[in-house]
Amino acid sequence: MTASFDVQTQQGQPTLLVRGSLDINSAPRLAERIDLLLATKPGRVVVDLSALDLIDSSGVAALVKLYKGIRAQGGQLEMRGTRDQPLAIFKLLRMDKVFGIA
Amino acid sequence: MSVATLRLVVPGHLRFRTVAVRFIAEACRLVSGSHMFDDRTGGFQVQHPFDTAFVSAFMEIFNNIVLHAYGGTERGVIEVTASVTVGALALEMRDTGTIFDFHAVPLPALDELPEGGMGLHIARTMLDEISYRPGPPNLWRLSKRLVLPGQL
Repeated sequence: MTASFDVQTQQGQPTLLVRGSLDINSAPRLAERIDLLLATKPGRVVVDLSALDLIDSSGVAALVKLYKGIRAQGGQLEMRGTRDQPLAIFKLLRMDKVFGIA
Repeated sequence: MSVATLRLVVPGHLRFRTVAVRFIAEACRLVSGSHMFDDRTGGFQVQHPFDTAFVSAFMEIFNNIVLHAYGGTERGVIEVTASVTVGALALEMRDTGTIFDFHAVPLPALDELPEGGMGLHIARTMLDEISYRPGPPNLWRLSKRLVLPGQL
């Protein structure tokens, strides 16, 4: 249960791919990637969670940080592919609507 | 009536979190009958609602013990006992770390998009029962019944 993160950019729009388990062990590494991403003032970011198998509250906090950072810059965040356990957690925390995955 | 009692003892450190989560996932699978591991890729997925709920709750309590009871230092162990019965799982987790007031932990302000304080809320919401008794050893009890179709 490890995690990996990749940022792919097409036509200037970054897509953050998160795979595996986003949890208390891996969330700090994602937070570092988020800082680098936000520094580019991307405007709009897509987060692809279709390969995300597990998430805990630390992982959720990292994604909330990304959401708040993008919004503070006047940008937009779109989450795609959320499923199974991560989707259940987002719904429980009422973040499915915030993240536009309802 | 217990079908099986499973025990795991791991150091109270995040390095051993994956081992513990897999242990609980397997205990869940014995109750729900789900299949979690992709035989082709070796991938690990939690899809059944029962597994989702219990694994999610367990991860949060494990994090809590490591970070708050043991303060992120490996100075104790976490003993996990899983009692598997037909249609239910009951878990006991023991640690010898710092105690806290379980009932004083506030609900997170979900409307404000919190970046912390969500762990116990997840655990409380996902399980049928959760309790904490300060020790030593501190004792967490977590339990959930499998809801079968037609039982709602």
